[in-house]
Amino acid sequence: MDELLQFLIAGLKNGSIYALVALGFTIVFAATGAINFAQGEFFMLGGMLGVFFAELGLPLAVAAVAAIAATAAIGAAFELLAVRPLGGGDPLRIIMVTIGGAVVLHQLALHLFGPNERALAPFTEGPSIKLFGAAIERQTVWIWALTAIAVVALAFLYRRTTFGRAMRATSIRRDAARLVGVNASAMVTWSFALAAALGAVGGLAVAPLTQTAFSVGPGMGVKGFAAAVLGGLGNPVAAVGGGLILGLLESLTAGYVDPVYKDGVAFVVLLVVLFVRPQGLFGGSGRVKV
Amino acid sequence: MNGRTLKALVPLVVVAAVAVLPLLITDRFLLKVFTFAGINALVVVGLALLFGYTGQVSLGHAAFVGLGAYTCAVCTVRLGWPWPLAFAASGALAALGGLALALPSLRLKGHYLAMATLGFGELMVLAFREAEPLTGGVDGFGGIPFPALGPLEVRSAGALYWLVWVVVGIALLAAYNVTSMRPGRAMRALHGSELGAQACGVDVVGVKVRTFVVSALLAGLAGALYASVVGFVSPSVFTLAASITFVAMAVLGGTGSLAGPIAAAVLLTLLQYLDALVPGIPRETAQTIQTYQEDIYGLAIVLVVIFAPGGLASFWRRRGRGGELS
Repeated sequence: MDELLQFLIAGLKNGSIYALVALGFTIVFAATGAINFAQGEFFMLGGMLGVFFAELGLPLAVAAVAAIAATAAIGAAFELLAVRPLGGGDPLRIIMVTIGGAVVLHQLALHLFGPNERALAPFTEGPSIKLFGAAIERQTVWIWALTAIAVVALAFLYRRTTFGRAMRATSIRRDAARLVGVNASAMVTWSFALAAALGAVGGLAVAPLTQTAFSVGPGMGVKGFAAAVLGGLGNPVAAVGGGLILGLLESLTAGYVDPVYKDGVAFVVLLVVLFVRPQGLFGGSGRVKV
Repeated sequence: MNGRTLKALVPLVVVAAVAVLPLLITDRFLLKVFTFAGINALVVVGLALLFGYTGQVSLGHAAFVGLGAYTCAVCTVRLGWPWPLAFAASGALAALGGLALALPSLRLKGHYLAMATLGFGELMVLAFREAEPLTGGVDGFGGIPFPALGPLEVRSAGALYWLVWVVVGIALLAAYNVTSMRPGRAMRALHGSELGAQACGVDVVGVKVRTFVVSALLAGLAGALYASVVGFVSPSVFTLAASITFVAMAVLGGTGSLAGPIAAAVLLTLLQYLDALVPGIPRETAQTIQTYQEDIYGLAIVLVVIFAPGGLASFWRRRGRGGELS
């Protein structure tokens, strides 16, 4: 019983990170209709920039905020330099540009920070918290708290602010949004910045536990995308649900089957969901709008 | 001579040049570089069909090459199969893997395939590393015999070069026939407009799945050739970086063309071995190119897609025809 609880905690911990990355996919997909292959690199940049700023001597909180802001700025610049020149349209071209851009970001991180794994100090020092015989690391609590804050802030932004309404209008119909005075291309830039910031939060929050390196992007990209598809691509709430479920499936597989198969779970989930239920677990209708 | 006969002569001259190259080059290493160029070209023929004709992209073709390479290694060394049989098995297994990936992810509109191949690639590298009894793990798998057609063993650098390029030639001929006939028209139609193609009776999903399976098959065969030419395979060769290299070759080559991507495959392979090719080149320059190789590929993909979606192929194709990436 204690063992199961421990697996569930580990699953919800990783699942929260997948949820953040999945949200990033969802936001860009809503704005452009394309999969952003650089989403995993935004996750990587969050962790690596956090380590970089912390090593400059900045207090951890300041370094974290700086890393998120810097990654968001990189996300916006990425859109302005590579995606904007395409002028919307064919998703294939957007996808190709994000693939090439992801390689460039990945290589930049390699040249700037080197090939070694880096670690970030835990956000709060101290022993694990005991709960019904299971141990929860303090950093895990931070991961949950940060994910919850990010999700609530995003929901508030989307539902309650004019800016969020403009974002949603753009994702529903770009031309119509433009007709009523929404600056649609600016909204696409903002969606990349937001997606990058969410990825960065995930990369930062998990860096003290797993270490980070320039090469963690593509793997996290696949997992975050599998989470988004599992929930139902295009729906933010579903993305969070998909992330948590994927995390649980992974940790149960690692715990009860064999840890070797852990990294294969996301890929199998992706293929099975695409085959059996392409609209995702929480996608209502069976329309192939996805 | 008018333009038309000149144009008809170009392929003949190219084929002749490729065929006599081993007679002109005495340096064995250089010949090996051109052999590798042929292996890459074989992979890129498949990717060119997939990307340039059906508008799909794969980020996991290095994994299919790896699957072919390990299949060939296991079949020849462990099972003692004759080489042609191992070669065929390598292609077949890769094609089967491709089918398993393509069926779920190509049924839907959109680009799920790209992400599925990315996941497949990551997973296969893990499998090559972890399935140690079968693959030799991180230490790799050595002692793979040279290709042998019956009693005839292909082992000299020149013969290996010819074998590889003959396979490339056959694949290219088959691909050319496919693209210039009915299936090719279907592919181009669905690249233009999936809905329109469907309305004209094109089995959109079937065409995409078949194209992907063929591209996986060619990658598997390329892997078998690689394993037999080098004699040693290890997981570090078949990573995402290699898949990106193949994609860069296909993109740089241009859409709706086979000659463009092949030219790009040869050029980018030669770029990797620039110091062997140009004797006078400073060491540092060659090293810098090596260090920034992947940056160059990434940037090339971005720049070509934004500024020249026609790629290399648009240089010799008449303006106003094809070349758009839609």
